[in-house]
Amino acid sequence: MRTLLSWGLCCALATGLPSLCLGQEHTTVGGYGEVHFTNATGPNTPGVVNLARFVVYLAHTFDDRLTFRSEVEIEDAKVEGGQAGGEVSVEQAFLDYRLGDWLTLRTGLLLAPMGIINETHEPPTFNGVDRPGFDNDVIPTTWREIGVGALGTIPGGSGLAYRVYLVNGLRAEGFSASEGIRDGRQEGQLASFANPSFTGRVEWARPGWKVGASFWYGGTANADSVLGTGSFAAPITLVSADVRYDVGGASFRGEVANINVSDAGRIDARYGTTVGSRIAGGYVEGAYDLLRLLAPGASQKLNAFVRHERYDTQASVPAGVTRDPSLARRLTTFGLMYKPTWNTAFKGDYQFVRNAAGVGEHEVLSLGIGYQF
Amino acid sequence: MTIALALLLFAVQNPPAPAAKVTASIARLFGPGARVDTLQVDSGTVLRVSRGDSLLGFAQVGNVLGKDQPITFLVAIDPADRLKDVDILVYREPYGGEVAYEPWRRQFRGKTVADSLRVGREIRGISGATISVHAVTLGVRRMLAALTAWHQRGAIR
Repeated sequence: MRTLLSWGLCCALATGLPSLCLGQEHTTVGGYGEVHFTNATGPNTPGVVNLARFVVYLAHTFDDRLTFRSEVEIEDAKVEGGQAGGEVSVEQAFLDYRLGDWLTLRTGLLLAPMGIINETHEPPTFNGVDRPGFDNDVIPTTWREIGVGALGTIPGGSGLAYRVYLVNGLRAEGFSASEGIRDGRQEGQLASFANPSFTGRVEWARPGWKVGASFWYGGTANADSVLGTGSFAAPITLVSADVRYDVGGASFRGEVANINVSDAGRIDARYGTTVGSRIAGGYVEGAYDLLRLLAPGASQKLNAFVRHERYDTQASVPAGVTRDPSLARRLTTFGLMYKPTWNTAFKGDYQFVRNAAGVGEHEVLSLGIGYQF
Repeated sequence: MTIALALLLFAVQNPPAPAAKVTASIARLFGPGARVDTLQVDSGTVLRVSRGDSLLGFAQVGNVLGKDQPITFLVAIDPADRLKDVDILVYREPYGGEVAYEPWRRQFRGKTVADSLRVGREIRGISGATISVHAVTLGVRRMLAALTAWHQRGAIR
């Protein structure tokens, strides 16, 4: 599956002698990516094909305890001056120092441990060509910031795991009515550390089950003279909960999140926007592997799924701001995902995009491929 | 307080060696005080477990690759070539350690080489541990096949 450089022989010889592998310095290469075709209904909306993501995973193990892990991403195939779209970014780059199952220390550019998709975003792991809209407009995936933290599993087979990080904060200057906190992310680029923020997650797992809860707390003022120069000035509080459950050929997942933007009124006044004081929503999704019925001997999968999302980036607004009902969105997606192997996927879906104002409603047909290795 | 911290640091920096983990795993699976002999077969090392004159079974230790770290595991079979249990001896990845939990490992118990072992069918997966689940399942399938073949052709007995 994964390519190993400068390691090869070690584990081939090590069957029965695992200690040979310990401490062996080695480099690992992997990757994932996705190609999309999307066609929205309505006038002047021709189909679009796009190499949405091409990501290279690179890790190096220095010894028993110390490992570097990173992902470099190209979005929309290329970046060229003067043209729209395209982004080259480092999605994560950190050092892990492993003290035991229950404690690994981590520092660098980290993924916020938030919800389902942010940390597990490889295309074969989720139904639908694109990520849920909720994971763009409410939880701003792929959300990464620079900081330090700890993670591990609680010993004793409890099934509990945790991650806690201290990272740089968001910047209120980037907040918007339709995408909430999304453009407040700093993503490791000359990021202001005026507002250190705390984020963390607890997970519980059993075969077929994973249940998680995440939080983020931190200021967003970025030492702005109007919003405040304190470390926790203009704070946001994000809490989310998620569950994944598989039984037989059926699988279910769901996620909810609530974000309080305490000083939305002052942020809106300062930057001339209409950020909600509360951003909230969630989705539920059910899928069934049709090959269970059609080809019981197969090890491939053909998931038929339906997902329903409801979220509002202006669930509450500060005094003086008028709610825009078109931001109270409802997305319903039906589709298929064929997985010839567990780490490759061919996808197709049809999405109904609706909102409380009935403005700009449309449907979208999407096709895509995805892989990870 | 200082002593507790020193003990903690000592425990953290001196995890049990794999050899001790193998011994502990064999004792757990076959009961304490069993005799363990090391057999060389082809390129592999097989542990023969017995007590007195009776054969209790065989075990083998192997590695599969997770996302970027080896996962060291042990497979034990009984004299009728049924899988007794799988043990994860050393898990080194930051995510996916759920494969070491008993509720996941016990799905393999009693399986033979004639049984199909597919993730998502006979073996339930764990979200967020997909790579480890597939790697360990494949490793167990191969090791069960090798142990059974060696036993049946008399290379281990």
